[in-house]
Amino acid sequence: MAQKKQAEQPHPRQEPRFDRPLSLENLKEIFTGCVDFMERTVYLNGDRQRTVTVCYLLGLTRNERLSDYILRPLAQDRSLSQAPEGELFSLLQYGALYNLAAIRRDKLDDVVNDLLLGSCALFFPGRMDVLTLPVPTEEKRGVGEPENEPALKGSRESFVESIRTNTAMIRRKLKAPQLKIKEHIVGRQSRTQVDVLYLEDMADPETVKQVEEKLGEMDIDGLEAAGNLEEYLADTARSPFPLMAYTQRPDRLCQGLLEGRVALLADGIPLGWMVPGTIDQFFKTGQDRAYHWMVASALSLVRYFCALITVLLPGLYIALVTFHPEAIPPKLALSIVAAKQEVPFSTIFEVLTMLLAFEVIQEAGLRLPSPIGATVSILGGLVVGNAAVEAHIVSPAVLIAVAIAGVAGYTQPSQDFGNALRLWRFLLAILSSLGGLFGLSLGCAGLIYHLARLESFGVPYLAPFTTGTKMPRGHPSLLRLPLPRMKWRDGAVNSKNRRNQR
Amino acid sequence: MRTALALVLALCLLLSGCSGLPTAREMGDMALMRTMGVDQAPDGVEMTVSTGPRAKGLQAEGEKALVLSAQADSLSAACLTIQGHSDSYVFYGYVDQLLVGEALAQEGIKPVLDYFARDEELGLGAQLWLVRNGTARQAVESGGEAGVDGRLSTLQLDGKLGEASISRTAGEIYSDLMEQGAAFVPALAVGELEDASLTESGYGVWKGTRLVGYLEGEAARGLELLVGRAPAEVLTLELEENRVSVRVSMVNTTVNLGVQGKTPTKLRITCRADLAVTEYDQELSRAQQDAISRQMEEKLMDRLEGALTALQQWEADCVGLGLRGAALHPRAWSEIQEQWPVWFGELEPDINLQVVVHE
Repeated sequence: MAQKKQAEQPHPRQEPRFDRPLSLENLKEIFTGCVDFMERTVYLNGDRQRTVTVCYLLGLTRNERLSDYILRPLAQDRSLSQAPEGELFSLLQYGALYNLAAIRRDKLDDVVNDLLLGSCALFFPGRMDVLTLPVPTEEKRGVGEPENEPALKGSRESFVESIRTNTAMIRRKLKAPQLKIKEHIVGRQSRTQVDVLYLEDMADPETVKQVEEKLGEMDIDGLEAAGNLEEYLADTARSPFPLMAYTQRPDRLCQGLLEGRVALLADGIPLGWMVPGTIDQFFKTGQDRAYHWMVASALSLVRYFCALITVLLPGLYIALVTFHPEAIPPKLALSIVAAKQEVPFSTIFEVLTMLLAFEVIQEAGLRLPSPIGATVSILGGLVVGNAAVEAHIVSPAVLIAVAIAGVAGYTQPSQDFGNALRLWRFLLAILSSLGGLFGLSLGCAGLIYHLARLESFGVPYLAPFTTGTKMPRGHPSLLRLPLPRMKWRDGAVNSKNRRNQR
Repeated sequence: MRTALALVLALCLLLSGCSGLPTAREMGDMALMRTMGVDQAPDGVEMTVSTGPRAKGLQAEGEKALVLSAQADSLSAACLTIQGHSDSYVFYGYVDQLLVGEALAQEGIKPVLDYFARDEELGLGAQLWLVRNGTARQAVESGGEAGVDGRLSTLQLDGKLGEASISRTAGEIYSDLMEQGAAFVPALAVGELEDASLTESGYGVWKGTRLVGYLEGEAARGLELLVGRAPAEVLTLELEENRVSVRVSMVNTTVNLGVQGKTPTKLRITCRADLAVTEYDQELSRAQQDAISRQMEEKLMDRLEGALTALQQWEADCVGLGLRGAALHPRAWSEIQEQWPVWFGELEPDINLQVVVHE
């Protein structure tokens, strides 16, 4: 009855996936039609009476390991032909084979999973259990430099697609047994490993529990893109603002762990996420702690200022030029009037069109291969822009305002946050064109209201600037104080141990 | 969902015109007025407005300044009439120079200041100038094709830098009239020659809202000393075998009001003037320095007394001596404040002048 009910569900979940007795025949049936499924029967030390069948998936296992550590001992080890039949399994599991691990499996589902993760399985005639030995291939991209978060003064390591390489990089930086790494498998078809990392004596257990529960609830076909994780774990559907900060840099992820946050790594995605995500996370860079505190603080202020510029400038321009010209300094007003006289379009149309054109050029540049993309950007930005101004189709002031807003957006360390600001820039420009500064103020109030409603794993998104958590702040969020003075972890993260240094 | 819907509907209602939202206007169609002149006219007032030099298009040559004029019963009516005279939308938000003709100044300035204070485009931040022996229209038109705005801006900037008469905003004058009952305003004279520009011509003094007279020459410099501003001039002194140029570099004037009960008894003015010797034929001796000090003391004292005498005669404390002096006697001041102009006219000033010469 329960099975029937489950089958009637639109997307029934099947646990275990292969609920059959463990046997070589059943395994072969499961992998019927899979050209990469391999099996080989081996005589133990040439004894035709004693055989073992080795199964593996071609391409997922490393041939040298399989040959040297598994097949060679099976074929050549004399003790295997002389050992009593009953002890043969134990002998192979506990020493005769040179592999790092040998796991006894008695469920077909587990064996299938092991094969898919790069293990080989040893089937013994007449036995209902199997020995699986992980011999995964190490074909993967080498650890390179983080292209999105370049380091001028610091580590040049970047996450790669292999989750174990990534966890190893974290382990090498945080050599503490308190660093816990828990694995979850997400995706029915992709069976992607997603690891939850946290420092046991710092991270908020409630956050860890929430993350693990949400991962457990994820029932999707495959985890192929970063959005799969972000949109299922955090409630991002109502907001364009990112609720989970991500990084390419292991050192930055380690810093997040040291702040008491919980980190996530997914196999196949060269990124690490840190939760809970609060708004200040998206203004920080991995280099903030590398520079002198005064420089880092100044740059932090510049980033906040640029966020305001990118989101407000087009709307402010429309509001001032169209509704409140008296607020513009006279000399600037005169030049705007002079530049505007021969332009046939309204300021509102000009700004909105230029904003759209800016997005189009940017999108075209991104979609094309980089040499052509650069050409498109130059052609679109400089040539067309200049021609449009000379032909009096747009006024230079509009071009400058839109360009400044666009360039200011690129100062945001988080691409996702910058994209959210781009969307709001349009909305505020439209509101300004309807109601001037009144519309803009209404939009700003809406933006603050929207941000104030957001939460990431129970922590207010604006936590660094509010008292929503009723926990004291660790240190000012706008500035980066000298490191010896940053003695406290941020209160909003609910760290178990708030003091971070003597 | 309901909340979101209600918000969207409220927004639509607000933005659909059922609200007090401002009206959109393109700046390309605007004539930005920089200077406004107001005169008395037989039927009411005459308003003359002028733009500065205007750029036509991006790379084209500058157009000549646009000057528009209209007579009407009231200032707002004159503004509306001017609007009808122009091809562009006349925008008064950038009027930062206000010229008032002498006839109107004698009649009363308050309606003009009131209008500037209340109008949504105009404001009391505009610089106020009094046109002496002439009309504001003449002054506005004296700018020719370039407009008078440049000249007035230069005078204003020079005034701030201490290189010309003290420039004052309409707001400063308005608040002086409200608080002190009197105010001074820089006066300008329109040159008689065709190409002559506006020149400084002392200060006009308003008592209540009417012009009571002018301080010019030495008396005008005396008023600047009373305010605590170094006059913008270089004085040449003839000493024995030495010709010296001296400039007052800094002035510090403090006022103390002697009060006995409810009766003001003394108006003590202490003025310290620092002199900078800018040029000389020979190195100054100690005796020559003393001589400079004596001569300048005499000169500055004459100026102070000249200005004070005129102001007392008009019973117009336009530099706020009473307010400044009464800072230590707030209770007594509240009693005598109403009658202060009368007291001011009768009090014997006690001026203590100290001159310090810096070589």
